[in-house]
Amino acid sequence: MARRPVRVPGGPQAFKYKTYTQTHPKPEFFVQRLCSNNRILLTLTLFLQVSATILAQTNQPVARKEGEPKILQLMVQLASEEEEEVIQAIKNLALTGDLRLENFFDLYRQGSVYLWEDAPEGILKIVVNEETVENDDFDELAPLVHPLTKKPVMIDGKQARPLIEDLTDISPGRKVRKIANSSKFLIRLASPNPKDRISGVKKTGDPPQNIDAIPSLQRIIKEDPDEKIQWTAKESLLLIRLAGVLPEQTAKDREAAIQELGNIKSLRALPRLQILLDTLNEAKEKPEGADAWTAAAKQSIKQIDKHETSVERFNNIFQGLSLGSVLILMALGLAITFGLMGVINMAHGELMMIGAYTAFEIQRAFGHNPDNPVDSYFFVAIPVSFAVAAMVGLIMEALVIRHLYRRPLESLLATWGIGLILIQLVRIRYGDNIGVNAPTWSLGGNEILQDVILPNGRLFIMLLCAACVGLVYFLMNKTPLGLRMRATMQNRDMASSLGVNTRNVDRCTFALGSGLAGVAGCAWTLIGGVTPDMGQNNFIVDSFLVVVTGGVGELAGVICSGLGIGLITKWVEPLRIGGFVVGAIWAKVILLAIIVGFIQFKPAGLFAPKGRLSDV
Amino acid sequence: MKVVRTLKSIGKLLSFICLSSAALQAQKSVKVGILHSLSGTMAISETSLRDVVLMAAEEINANGGVMGHKIEPVVVDPASNWPLFAEKAKQLILKEKVSVTFGCWTSVSRKSCLPVFEENNALLFYPVQYEGEEQSLNVFYTAASPNQQLVPAAEYMMDEYDSKKFYLLGTDYVFPRTANKVLKAFLKTKGVPDANIIEEYTPFHHQDYQTIVSKIKKFSASGDACVLSTINGDSNVPFYKEFANQGLTSDDCPIMAFSVAEDELRAMDVPPLVGHLAAWNYFQSIKSKENKAFVKNFKTYCKKNNLPGGSKRVTDDPIEAAYFGVYVWKAAVEKAGSFDVDKVRKAVYGLKFDAPGGKKSMHPTNQHTLKPVYIGEILKNGQFKIVNKSKGLVSPDSYSSYLHKKGEEPKPTGGPNGDGTL
Repeated sequence: MARRPVRVPGGPQAFKYKTYTQTHPKPEFFVQRLCSNNRILLTLTLFLQVSATILAQTNQPVARKEGEPKILQLMVQLASEEEEEVIQAIKNLALTGDLRLENFFDLYRQGSVYLWEDAPEGILKIVVNEETVENDDFDELAPLVHPLTKKPVMIDGKQARPLIEDLTDISPGRKVRKIANSSKFLIRLASPNPKDRISGVKKTGDPPQNIDAIPSLQRIIKEDPDEKIQWTAKESLLLIRLAGVLPEQTAKDREAAIQELGNIKSLRALPRLQILLDTLNEAKEKPEGADAWTAAAKQSIKQIDKHETSVERFNNIFQGLSLGSVLILMALGLAITFGLMGVINMAHGELMMIGAYTAFEIQRAFGHNPDNPVDSYFFVAIPVSFAVAAMVGLIMEALVIRHLYRRPLESLLATWGIGLILIQLVRIRYGDNIGVNAPTWSLGGNEILQDVILPNGRLFIMLLCAACVGLVYFLMNKTPLGLRMRATMQNRDMASSLGVNTRNVDRCTFALGSGLAGVAGCAWTLIGGVTPDMGQNNFIVDSFLVVVTGGVGELAGVICSGLGIGLITKWVEPLRIGGFVVGAIWAKVILLAIIVGFIQFKPAGLFAPKGRLSDV
Repeated sequence: MKVVRTLKSIGKLLSFICLSSAALQAQKSVKVGILHSLSGTMAISETSLRDVVLMAAEEINANGGVMGHKIEPVVVDPASNWPLFAEKAKQLILKEKVSVTFGCWTSVSRKSCLPVFEENNALLFYPVQYEGEEQSLNVFYTAASPNQQLVPAAEYMMDEYDSKKFYLLGTDYVFPRTANKVLKAFLKTKGVPDANIIEEYTPFHHQDYQTIVSKIKKFSASGDACVLSTINGDSNVPFYKEFANQGLTSDDCPIMAFSVAEDELRAMDVPPLVGHLAAWNYFQSIKSKENKAFVKNFKTYCKKNNLPGGSKRVTDDPIEAAYFGVYVWKAAVEKAGSFDVDKVRKAVYGLKFDAPGGKKSMHPTNQHTLKPVYIGEILKNGQFKIVNKSKGLVSPDSYSSYLHKKGEEPKPTGGPNGDGTL
């Protein structure tokens, strides 16, 4: 206490920090001190505390308005027998804007908040206990913590541990619980964290609409540095006006809100406007202004519908391209090992799996985890995945595949077997469960247009896919190695007689294809899960589908068929034919039917080898 | 594959020999079968159940066994191959002459070996929550029936989140289909109109949830929707990731999952799941002395036996159900004073017992277990914060009261006379 004034010269910042973290003196405390301590010092302290609170208020618009003693006093009202009083107390608490109350409301809803009536002088009445302990006599004791700071409540230098029977359970009923929950979002409006703030802004506009939020929303519309939050606050405010829950709201005002929601093309308003239309239609006694509302709502629905259709169209195309690029990335390696070399490589999926597990190992080596992100690990993981998968490919080639170059069916069985061995090896080493934590930059998305969000992870995969295709194209067509590869694959004997070491070329080609599979597996960890049998479950069929449809042996074929399959799937899946929604299962069936039909007419795929090549 | 299988069977043979020689040294022993997939797609989940049953057997043996008999576990691997479950069950019952079997995960595997148990009047303890609509006198179901998991969870969403619209999303197989049938019937009794319920399925191992998440986003724009998810296994990861990446949070549209437990969370990138919900009858985070001891014992057991994951392993609902199943059987045997299936069955009915998650009891007639229902919120560390607990134990329905009128439920099957009578 006596040291407090000394801290003030550190500036309001230092003081503010303290008021957030340090347990405040309780009101009773002041009385005790009054007798024993220097009065002047006390007056000074009180004065400073008040001025600091004012300072905090003026410096930071989102800071709380009430002091902690006031909040603690309000909390005592939560123990009231009258439900109305409890509700009022919650509302008043929420209006203080103290961010720590969000956590308190959660604890309160879950029944961890107690009233301690027999609390010793100078100790809190409202306390939090999350876990009881048993002593040697099997008494249930409740170690207490402070409802705001969550620090232990101390008595005589030890944490207070009254018997659980001595505490009164004040856990709320259903109605109060809901109000506590919606008050949580009201508090978030004052949060300095934009993510919390936008969630608060959004939820206050959702049912049950919280009228208390209106002043804060109006402030956010004017002052918030984030445009998106400003816009959402505007939307939420309109939605509250649309709901017609305001006291003394005129019919005109509601009509204006309906029109404005149409003008800003609010997707959140669409279902609500439809419900409004339905209820107005069914209502026997039309309220005042019902006709104007109906007309305005119809107009707004038309506007929003138009916007929604274009958003959906854009989403469909983006999602198709994204799925397509995932498929191309998966199939690129196979296009080389199967397409160019003719090895039916059933272990292709397992090579991807190895890439994914390599990413996991690199993540571990970098110590990346959600609490302590080291995002750069991923850029190391990509080349290492390539190298590891390529090594495994080299070993496979040397031990098994080189003996089977002219026998495709045997190579099918042998590579299938290799795949199973790889799966079981990984299972023995890792068990079944591991989780790769995606780097933080891949989480979330960017809203490029209103309601069009492009997820970062998927954008990255599209870029990676383009880069891989570009590199493979360059390697194949612009380098001597690529020339030798193509020569060997087109006519092995001729190439050999012209001095090409076809064994080395075979090794390189197979390693390249395997390495690309490794990169695909590594990228996969951004959007999917990692299990030992992911290759067989998720990849192998789709990869072959892409390569076969594209035409064996052509890079352009893989790109066209990958994108084609992606776009068709994403176009078909959301289709609605009458009351029947196509959905994921039927989309797959339809896609396979299309491909089977297509293969009937073009057995060699989209880009069939022409001329003499087709005989080889 | 062959090589691996052979190696495995040699391993099994060795462990079997070890076990049997150990058993020879002890005076008397009783064989119990463990029928869980240790390879193939289901190994990811079922291996943990084998581990915990072996641990329970070890504990019981260390404390003097069952009526003075040492438990001699016989582990077989049905390899996630449904017909193989029937074959392996036959092997356990006829060749090994086990007194009881602990096993199965998927409903299709249970349905596949059910005729074998009924034909031979043998006993199976089934430890996984399932879709109900079954009551065989040869099976004790130690996990939840639909009214002990699905219905309370839907009720919770209506009460606490004010949800008025429900997106029922599942993998396309028997559990989600039947579960959603029960959920739909329940929601209708609560007055939810058809237009506010969407039912959708994806194939096994589905990975691309872009379209579905877009649909959910549209569906939940009104701010009062939730997802009830019966998505299974590896599809959960891409689903939750896509959900978060398209800008949805648990505040916009909470996901209540019925197939995501602690063991599954171990294999996931958890941050996108934080704040979403799951409904189970047990969570590792249950705060009791018994549970803490159980969790510690399991971790120690896994570490001691060099099982993958070691001390990082976690317990979850099926693991607890598999574990106390062994103790229920033990208590019933001791109560009946015999290993005879018919006597043990009668002793199980109405049995009260202490499980790691608290006191539970067996239903007096319908083969299921009375359990508490918990709703948990997913935390960053892959554990659950319990946000709701049922008052007391919830009594199980073998046949859902939402699908059958009272008194018109189908009769039980199997039993000593093979016709569902006792």
